Amino acid sequence: MVQFDILIVGAGGAGLYAALETSRRKGLSVAVLSKVYPTRSHTGAAQGGVNAALGNVAPDSPEKHAYDTVKGSDFLADQDAVEMMCEMAPKIIREMEHMGLPFSRLEDGRIAQRPFGGASFPRTCYAADKTGHVMLQTLYEQCLKNGVKFLNEWFLLSVVHNGERVSGVVAMDLRSGRIHGIRAKAVILATGGHARVYWNRTSNALGNTGDGTAAVLRAGLPLKDMEFIQFHPTGLRRTGILVTEGARGEGGYLINSKGERFMKRYAPEKMELAPRDMVSRAIETEILEGRGFRDEEGNEFVYLDLRHLGRKKILERLPQIRELAIDFEGVDPIEEPIPVRPTAHYSMGGIDADKLGRTPVKGLYAAGECACISVHGANRLGGNSLLDIVVFGKLAGEDAVNFVSEVDFLPFAESEVKREEERVNSLFEADGKEKLADLRSELSDVMSYGAGIFREEKKMKEALEKVREIKERAKHVKVYDGERTFNTNLQQTLEFLNLVDIAETIVLPAIERKESRGAHYRTDYPKRDDENFLKHSIVERGDDGELRLSWKPVVITKYQPEERKY
Amino acid sequence: MEKREVLFRIRRFNPKRDEKPYYQEYRLTVPKGMTVLEALQQIKDTQDPTLAFRAFCRSAICGSCAVKVNGFPKLACKTQVFNELDKFGTDTLTLEPLDNMDVIRDLIVDWDRPFKRMEEMKPWLVPDPEVVPKTLDEESRVYPRELKKFDQFTDCILCTSCYSSCTATQLDDGYGGPFQLARVYRFAVDPRDALKAERSKIGYAFDMWNCVRCNKCADVCPKHVSPVDGIMKLRGLSIEVGLKDNPGARHVMAFYKSLLESGMLNEVLLPLRTKGVKGVLENLPVGIKMILKGKAHSPVMKPIAEHETLVKVMKVAMEVE
Repeated sequence: MVQFDILIVGAGGAGLYAALETSRRKGLSVAVLSKVYPTRSHTGAAQGGVNAALGNVAPDSPEKHAYDTVKGSDFLADQDAVEMMCEMAPKIIREMEHMGLPFSRLEDGRIAQRPFGGASFPRTCYAADKTGHVMLQTLYEQCLKNGVKFLNEWFLLSVVHNGERVSGVVAMDLRSGRIHGIRAKAVILATGGHARVYWNRTSNALGNTGDGTAAVLRAGLPLKDMEFIQFHPTGLRRTGILVTEGARGEGGYLINSKGERFMKRYAPEKMELAPRDMVSRAIETEILEGRGFRDEEGNEFVYLDLRHLGRKKILERLPQIRELAIDFEGVDPIEEPIPVRPTAHYSMGGIDADKLGRTPVKGLYAAGECACISVHGANRLGGNSLLDIVVFGKLAGEDAVNFVSEVDFLPFAESEVKREEERVNSLFEADGKEKLADLRSELSDVMSYGAGIFREEKKMKEALEKVREIKERAKHVKVYDGERTFNTNLQQTLEFLNLVDIAETIVLPAIERKESRGAHYRTDYPKRDDENFLKHSIVERGDDGELRLSWKPVVITKYQPEERKY
Repeated sequence: MEKREVLFRIRRFNPKRDEKPYYQEYRLTVPKGMTVLEALQQIKDTQDPTLAFRAFCRSAICGSCAVKVNGFPKLACKTQVFNELDKFGTDTLTLEPLDNMDVIRDLIVDWDRPFKRMEEMKPWLVPDPEVVPKTLDEESRVYPRELKKFDQFTDCILCTSCYSSCTATQLDDGYGGPFQLARVYRFAVDPRDALKAERSKIGYAFDMWNCVRCNKCADVCPKHVSPVDGIMKLRGLSIEVGLKDNPGARHVMAFYKSLLESGMLNEVLLPLRTKGVKGVLENLPVGIKMILKGKAHSPVMKPIAEHETLVKVMKVAMEVE
């Protein structure tokens, strides 16, 4: 059986930073397994930037960054983890700068910073509107430099552990179609988010299907705060493709059909730069109350107007956004406003992990969007995700290096591989009564209906029932492609099954959290309720296959909960 | 809303099973705005689950989905079906895998070779201790005008479109490849890099002079990177660091000298200056024919009328660079 001291699953920002960290320790065998080639991961799609209190443009401090983050999270973030992240931010940004990351610069040569939603100062370091892309490229370059081993186009099937310690994973080499057990002393999951649950309207890549999160759930380990899904305010009208918050950071306006900058009603001070949950609700409210636009296909939207920024600024700071708007909407933002509507964007919840990425099983780590540390609480601030992935990727890498030097490999039973082979083989033998594409779309509709931007008990309960029904019906989805080589029919089916598993873990705690906090907004409980719900939800799957819900306290250091006004 | 009946001819091939590639036809009703990628997924969802293609971000940043659409490399995710139909005046789109790489299955090609090649060319920053601070308490200073020199080349998403249409790659196994060489240049002009112009020696070792400047790499790049510009500049750097005694450098220098002397290209002296006596002998048969037909000019050329102005322009241009 193949074995590595440390196996990293996922090659986005968190996975690559973890890999870099481990590659500094000589003599360890480390591999990065990814279902796509490195640099394809969704980190690359992050556009606007990464937060750090460098204070290059205005005086700033890690404390202010931490406060903004905690307030943005609607006080659900664990404050010790937030403080650590914000404290590390300036150093890790400089570390990447020293690796060659091509940040945009001020005239004096220092890293430029732009304003972002929910931040008190221009704190977001950026490289035009391609920050994630160049970050991913830079980290990959450094991994090549350090000789990191990559298993490209491998798909994670399961995480194997004995209840106390991790012993490895089972994964499929997509190119050969073969299923392998991989033994490892430590496994770092950096598999990204799961907003593809909302298949029909999301900014996410096709593969953001929560593969690691679902594997952890199936392995009987806890997920945290799964009810919190961020809807980004500005997805393109037809496709939900992301238009960066940087567009508003640079001064873009949101306009309704009456020609108003409607944010004045919702966040008079911060206007378009209020946190994402508030801006998304504002847009949806405008549309619900009849002040949106409607096109001939029935798509409803508002406008993001950049015209007043002028040609030069748009070409210099937002070149990609301009091109996306032209290619996907036929609109040149220099000449016309961009039609936008909120789009499912980010998973605040995920694998329950502590501030070093450790899960309850020793040697198993989670970092990046698949993890819930939690630094984003009920709502993530723009620019904090690229920070989260590098900080916690690095820390998980460091801790894993220390861990593996003290332990031996655990035995890895062949039966674990057999079980996954049987699970995969059964998909070829299903009766095909249900169609993958139809069911995937149905799941998306149900989730948008029951667990979207506005939620209420009745709809959520209907959604839960429907999700469970879809889970049953999913047993009839058949893989028709009988070839082993690069069977994307099989891959898409496995990804869909992961989404089904995850959908249930979103709706269940959403029903039980009888309050509104951050992205979880309930029309039947419109107020935050700190007395009863200033706590993390935990979902686990028992041996009987049923989900169990419990709660866990929030870590509060010095920022006492207060009303969130912008 | 406008809809059209479109015929998709898709090249299928599973090397494990098929003797050779074949084309399969699918008919699809396409609404306005639908991308090639959406069409592919719809065919997979409703007609043929065995169709194999790669896709990920669907917003033109991950580089997964490049395929040939009616013969030209395109990112499937950002290419609208109607635009292509209109461009070609047709109702048929032919989709094929990229060239210059082996097919793994259908539209999926084997990327190992181009990426391995890139790795051999060391495309990563080696920090210059004079510029990059020793501690994490400081940033290196990079001025906007310095960033501008290499920023364009950091847009590359490794989609391999340029590689697939590169003529030099097709003919020369030792050739570095367009995106790979452009990355070498990217680091050669990064003020933080310790190797700086010395990196052009890597370009030299990987046959950068074999680029024929056909410009295809620039034409097909979905991110407007224009690798050929990087390659040309990398050649310039190689002359600066002293790699002058080779046909490529001598050829460029011969052009330069010619222009300085007369303002015209001295085609008679060009073979001698580029390849020496060997070059003259190689070109002799053609040369004699040209002389006989009265097409060859004298080796001694009179300067053109505005020669002094030209020399001034050339000097200013070089200062700007």
